[in-house]
Amino acid sequence: MLVVLALVAAACGAQGASPSASASNALPSSSASTNPEAVISDVEAGAHLTFWTFYLSPTFDDYIQSTIDRFEATYPGVTVDWEDHQATFLDDYRNAINSGTQPDVANLSNNAGWVREFAEAGKLLNMSENLPQEVIDTYYPNLFMDSVVDGSSFQVPWYQAIPVEIVNTQILKDADLTVDDFPTSFDGLPDFCQKIKDATGKLCDIRLSVTDYLAQMTYEGGVDVMNEDGSAFTFDSAEAVDWLQTYVDMVKNDLVDRSALTTEDDRVGLDLFNSGEAPFYQTGPQLIRETKDKNPDLYEQLAIAPFPIGRSGVIQPTSQGIAVKADTEFPRAAMALAAFFTSAKSQLEFSKIVAVYPSTPAAYEDAFFTETPELIEDSARPLAQGLIEKEQNILPTIPNAADVNDVVRKAVEKALFDGADPQQVLSDAVAQANKLL
Amino acid sequence: MTALGRLLPLGRGRLAPRSRGIGSGWVPYLFLAPSLVLVAIFVVYPIASVVYYSFTDFDIITPAQWVGLDNYQRLFGDPTFWKALTNSVIYLVATPILIVLSISLAIVVNRQLRGIHIFRALYYVPAVSGSIAIGISWRWLFDRNGFINSLLVSAGILDKPISWLTEPDAILPIAIMLTVWAGVGYYAVIFLAGLQNVPEELYDAAEIDGANAFQKHWHVSLPALRPQILFVAVISSLAALKVFDEIYVLTNRTGGVLDSGVTVVFYLWKQAFVLSNAGYASAIAIALLVLTLTFSVVYVRVLERRWEGTA
Repeated sequence: MLVVLALVAAACGAQGASPSASASNALPSSSASTNPEAVISDVEAGAHLTFWTFYLSPTFDDYIQSTIDRFEATYPGVTVDWEDHQATFLDDYRNAINSGTQPDVANLSNNAGWVREFAEAGKLLNMSENLPQEVIDTYYPNLFMDSVVDGSSFQVPWYQAIPVEIVNTQILKDADLTVDDFPTSFDGLPDFCQKIKDATGKLCDIRLSVTDYLAQMTYEGGVDVMNEDGSAFTFDSAEAVDWLQTYVDMVKNDLVDRSALTTEDDRVGLDLFNSGEAPFYQTGPQLIRETKDKNPDLYEQLAIAPFPIGRSGVIQPTSQGIAVKADTEFPRAAMALAAFFTSAKSQLEFSKIVAVYPSTPAAYEDAFFTETPELIEDSARPLAQGLIEKEQNILPTIPNAADVNDVVRKAVEKALFDGADPQQVLSDAVAQANKLL
Repeated sequence: MTALGRLLPLGRGRLAPRSRGIGSGWVPYLFLAPSLVLVAIFVVYPIASVVYYSFTDFDIITPAQWVGLDNYQRLFGDPTFWKALTNSVIYLVATPILIVLSISLAIVVNRQLRGIHIFRALYYVPAVSGSIAIGISWRWLFDRNGFINSLLVSAGILDKPISWLTEPDAILPIAIMLTVWAGVGYYAVIFLAGLQNVPEELYDAAEIDGANAFQKHWHVSLPALRPQILFVAVISSLAALKVFDEIYVLTNRTGGVLDSGVTVVFYLWKQAFVLSNAGYASAIAIALLVLTLTFSVVYVRVLERRWEGTA
């Protein structure tokens, strides 16, 4: 019992008392730099920054460290203390805020909702107000404004993972299908899965966005989850019911692997695919390296298909962002580090190491993005720029997002696994979610 | 009077004059101080904090707001909490299974057979293995493409594989089985120690009275193991009420579809660290504290009275 109490209490320590500081406050100036990579002026002399990344070590240690070294050379006198946090990143970051040790600069996921969570709590620096316009202009506008809170951006966009379908061509061949038959829209998936199951007995490896059902409804189902003024939820509309019914039918007809469908862990579906038991799986091409490592035979039979577009007709951005602590002692230096890692040059170098895609149009001017790639994991590279330009965040800001998502999760699971009527469960969920507004 | 009994008063008498002096009353507290400081930091302060936060709306990253009894009111009207509580109580079924299997195992290994030490070491392996590693192994076993399904399908018992871990009715029994499997070796060691203290003469006397092997254990071993049974019953029940790791790993952090595997501690964790409702999670922690304390006191009293009655 004491352990349980201690666990909760450990996360409930004293609150940092310092108020948010505005970066527009007068800042000490530093020596002006002539280095073209020094895009932020008046960086605080002697600034010491803490920088957290998410799941990048040890694979990308060399890249991160060499970029930091270049940054420190660009802004002499500024030093960076880098830490990589992995599965516990979110807990670590929340606890760091609570204990007053929030890192100055951190790699926060946009589509996992982290940027919004901490921006709404006033813990992140407003980039729209503080970052020079010429730096803002280097990013795709749709990505810079990926996680908007009160009309402002609180992050700069970093690398993108273009979602693709990795396909086991052997299973498709057994089902008398080819990768060209892969459905181009979400609506084509059930029939495709039915054909595969009938011919091979294999189930589709599809994963619901357990931590963000409303995003999945929005993009995949074309559902308006809130009314225009944000005063009420509307995810019990005909579109929403239709979206849920699609999944209910797939579960009822035993077309999807249930263990992958409702897991929070992306690796469950990926491992299932890597075992050779699944016909396809939607993931980022950078994770194909895992198939190569774990199942080289399967890697030889891999193909890539564009992922099926949802009923919204829009692609959800899947960007990692870099955010700055709201009350950092060194706002100019912190913004400089964020801008440095997300510059066209730094991102191009990163893309050459792993199949991730830059958030800056200038990076795509390099021949690297137009050459025909040799490896399957790189085959999305020539398509990347076109896809990123189509990405758009159409999900409204959801108040109490985690609690609302939990309400929706219960409704979806009741419909999928308990035989409840989709319309009824969604209407009940809307009523419950409206109480959280 | 025993030799020990005679010595104690003498000992006190001899020590007393030396302990008198200026400020000598503080000496014991001085020796206790390091431990008391640690207890205050790591036990008293966290408990006091949790009690305080249970009366607040607290999301970990922004200052707590006092909300009085709101969290406790919410607790009573929260169907998921009651489901979690029910699941935790159901989990108590692991206790009698553990006791029976552990005693049986202890009796089996309480013999001087060739290689018995290897066997004793083997059954203790799960107790020293990490719970997460064990959970992942069991997840593989019960996976749709896992060993259990392969076995059942190839034996013709199942027509097609089942996604055991997404079956609402299966997740809790699987988790209980895991707990029993992982704990039986540990508790067996406790019973083994108890068995090795039972005088051999008692078994000889029972044999002379015509008792068979089962009757010898029923009438000799079990009564002799009462202190160990009481101890194991209490600690394994408390462990069952606090189960977390098994559910966390088997359900991949979700608690299972339809919250079928959610226990009180899992729900506490989810509220605190997934939904960022640390204030509400603190109220759940306090409810769990009250539950486990009440349970422990009642359990010990009931077992003691029952044994006093049969003694």
